[in-house]
Amino acid sequence: MPLSEFLARRLLQLIPTLIFILIVVFVLVRLLPGDPTSAILGDRALDADVERINRQLGLDQPIIVQFWLFVKSVFSGDLGNSIVLKLPVTTLIAQRLPTTILLTVMAALIALIMAVPLAFVAALQREKLADASIRGAFQVGLSMPVFYLGLILLTVFGARLQWFPVGGYGDGFLDHLYHLFLPSLTLALSLSAILMRNLRAAIIGVLDAEYVSFAHAKGLAPRLILTRHVLRNALISTVTIFGLSIGTLLSGAVITETVFAIPGAGRLMVDSIYGRDYPVVQGMTLALAVLVSVTFLLTDILQAWLDPRVAR
Amino acid sequence: MKFFKAAALSAAVLLGSTVSALAVERGGVMTYGRYADSLFLDPVLNDANVDIWILSNMYDTLLLPTDDGKGVKPGLASDYKVSDDGLTVTLTLRDGIKFSDGSAITPEDVVFSLDRAINPDNGIWNFLVSSIDSVDSPDAKTVVLHLKHPDPAIIPALTVFNTAIMPKAQFMASAGTTDKEKAEDFQTHPVGSGPFVLQSWDRGSTMKLVRNPYYWDMGEDGKPLPYLDGVTFEVIPDDATRILRLQSGEIDGAEFIPFARVSELKADPSINMQLFPSTKVNYITLNVRPTVDGKENPLANVKVRQAMNYALNKDAIIQIVTQGVGTPMTSFMSTATPLHSGDTPLFPYDPAKAKQLLAEAGYPNGFKTSILALAGNQDDAGITTAMQQMFAAVGIDLEIKQVDNATRTDLYRNGNFDMRTGGWTDDIADPSEITSYFAYSPVIEAMHSGWSNDEVNSLFEQSQSETDPAKRAQEYARIQEIYNSEGPTLPLFETPYPVALRKNVQGFVQIPLGNNIFRSAWLQK
Repeated sequence: MPLSEFLARRLLQLIPTLIFILIVVFVLVRLLPGDPTSAILGDRALDADVERINRQLGLDQPIIVQFWLFVKSVFSGDLGNSIVLKLPVTTLIAQRLPTTILLTVMAALIALIMAVPLAFVAALQREKLADASIRGAFQVGLSMPVFYLGLILLTVFGARLQWFPVGGYGDGFLDHLYHLFLPSLTLALSLSAILMRNLRAAIIGVLDAEYVSFAHAKGLAPRLILTRHVLRNALISTVTIFGLSIGTLLSGAVITETVFAIPGAGRLMVDSIYGRDYPVVQGMTLALAVLVSVTFLLTDILQAWLDPRVAR
Repeated sequence: MKFFKAAALSAAVLLGSTVSALAVERGGVMTYGRYADSLFLDPVLNDANVDIWILSNMYDTLLLPTDDGKGVKPGLASDYKVSDDGLTVTLTLRDGIKFSDGSAITPEDVVFSLDRAINPDNGIWNFLVSSIDSVDSPDAKTVVLHLKHPDPAIIPALTVFNTAIMPKAQFMASAGTTDKEKAEDFQTHPVGSGPFVLQSWDRGSTMKLVRNPYYWDMGEDGKPLPYLDGVTFEVIPDDATRILRLQSGEIDGAEFIPFARVSELKADPSINMQLFPSTKVNYITLNVRPTVDGKENPLANVKVRQAMNYALNKDAIIQIVTQGVGTPMTSFMSTATPLHSGDTPLFPYDPAKAKQLLAEAGYPNGFKTSILALAGNQDDAGITTAMQQMFAAVGIDLEIKQVDNATRTDLYRNGNFDMRTGGWTDDIADPSEITSYFAYSPVIEAMHSGWSNDEVNSLFEQSQSETDPAKRAQEYARIQEIYNSEGPTLPLFETPYPVALRKNVQGFVQIPLGNNIFRSAWLQK
């Protein structure tokens, strides 16, 4: 099967997945106790106020009717308005999601940059001091809670050494990158630990494989063996783990965004769930689902390229 | 010589301090770290403290609250007069007042703004001005409020955010057909009457206010307020990060400092740790309906409620939760609320008396009950676990149910709870608001407790149109006496607003109602 057909099939599979997610989120968020109006107003909500405002929002309609109206507006590109923030959900997604994507991409890159070379070193120095120290260091990164690690980085590199700003997002793209470095590093540490361990194991497995011994026997240059044969084959399983980790990174972003005061999608999502801001929860879930699906798709393509048997 | 030096030094210090107290400095932008962003900055349609507490910087009211939060001073109106029958209020507008776009503030704008505020279809704050029947303007300087009945709280009501003055023409020119749609559009390009005006707003991150060049009030230096060129709000939800940014000098002030960090920041030489007096009260509300969930409810018995009050060592709770910053309550309303009465802490710790009252009530061996606490909230965790231990000592078995805010609200609104934690701050310098929610049952059944007391209800109704201040004070004294002794509540403590400022920040105040007032704030260079 050619790659284009493989892609088309995967894209088609995406549609029912997204519809299913939409239905589940739409129903689940309404099954939570409480409603947006009394959640915002709390003590001060008079019954009459809650009824009036919920009627204005159309929340007094049967759930089927609400869903039908929602689906209709989704297909016209309208995700509704935030009940709490009184802004179109599409505007909120456009404001917040790029921040989280940037944070996630930076974290992923930092994780790769740290994990890949060190995995090689660890694998080639198997059971020696270098291997043990690398694995030990990453173990610390993996076992440290994100909010704690973030706070330590902020205190040391932000407040004390003043190399980086103490949280916030800054103005302009370069300033964003500067502000996002510490939060990305926070997120990257645990991911890189997982990637490094996995890649190290995979490299060791490949190094022991017969075709590598054969390559050596044929007299291929060791560097060529490492890049063309070992790395490519070892990466297959790591790419899968990497793709799956993007979802984890996105959920880790929630805590990181709070600690580092970054106005990202994670914080908006959590606030919206607490505030029962149904349209935002629905819209953001849809956007995140698309994002994760696209990541998986890219992972599949990468895998297909690394290992042509996958697409077959 | 040594003596001379010391004298000269102390004279210089003295001189220096007098000079700095007088000479305000202009310019600069003050950056303030907030725990959460605002939601909707419309004076009438907002519904949360994150909006209310900064709105007065953007929209002025006819009258302004004094810094102690109890009194009233002139605002956009230079003078007001209540008629002898208490049925009309005549306000004189200041000369030459302008909106932030330079257009004149006219009586028409005032009538429009107050009409919005009293419209029962708009928002949730119209109860504060429900006594107003109509508003009109006989001439270009005068606005007259016609009341349905005399209202002792009408003057403080004219200092509350929902009666702020907005520009009619600019508001009506906004896109949309309904008031709500127009308000949503207007807030994207607002024109204000306050000392500052909104310049830009990155949701969830940064809000920039710049000075309104047309503001009417004068500073100490004889030039128009405000002193600052602008105020920038940074949203920093994490307490530790907010404090870290303040300490590193990236922001000039930070709100909601956790009580556990107050003494540490007091010791920091670069920080001015302020504890602004507040109307914040922290309490437990009890469901006092005869049955809950079909089962007999011990909390319906007043002796049981009193026993629970005596069983709680509130001083210990104050130490645990507020690190000693809080103070015991002397009434259900804060000491900063006008007409507060009571000077001794309610129900001093007395476990023996608690046991005796439980026995008298028919529960010598205690009973099982539960409390709703906010999941993830440290104060709630501290309060409820302390309660659990203190109740256990008198035989009451307390189950802590951790839920999120929306779930908690849903449960108590439906009367589906035994006890819940609660916190309250007043929005108006008058006791009527808190009393209507806490004690007067027709509004929300006394905080959804199901408690009702005929004497309290009729006293409250009388007080709402009582024009004699002495009589009104008596009515409130009696309401507090009844509620404090047999009401559906376990009063816990009052807390101030903990705000940390850089040492060079002057003139900033958070008034007891919670409003952050930047109009007279300035930065020492």
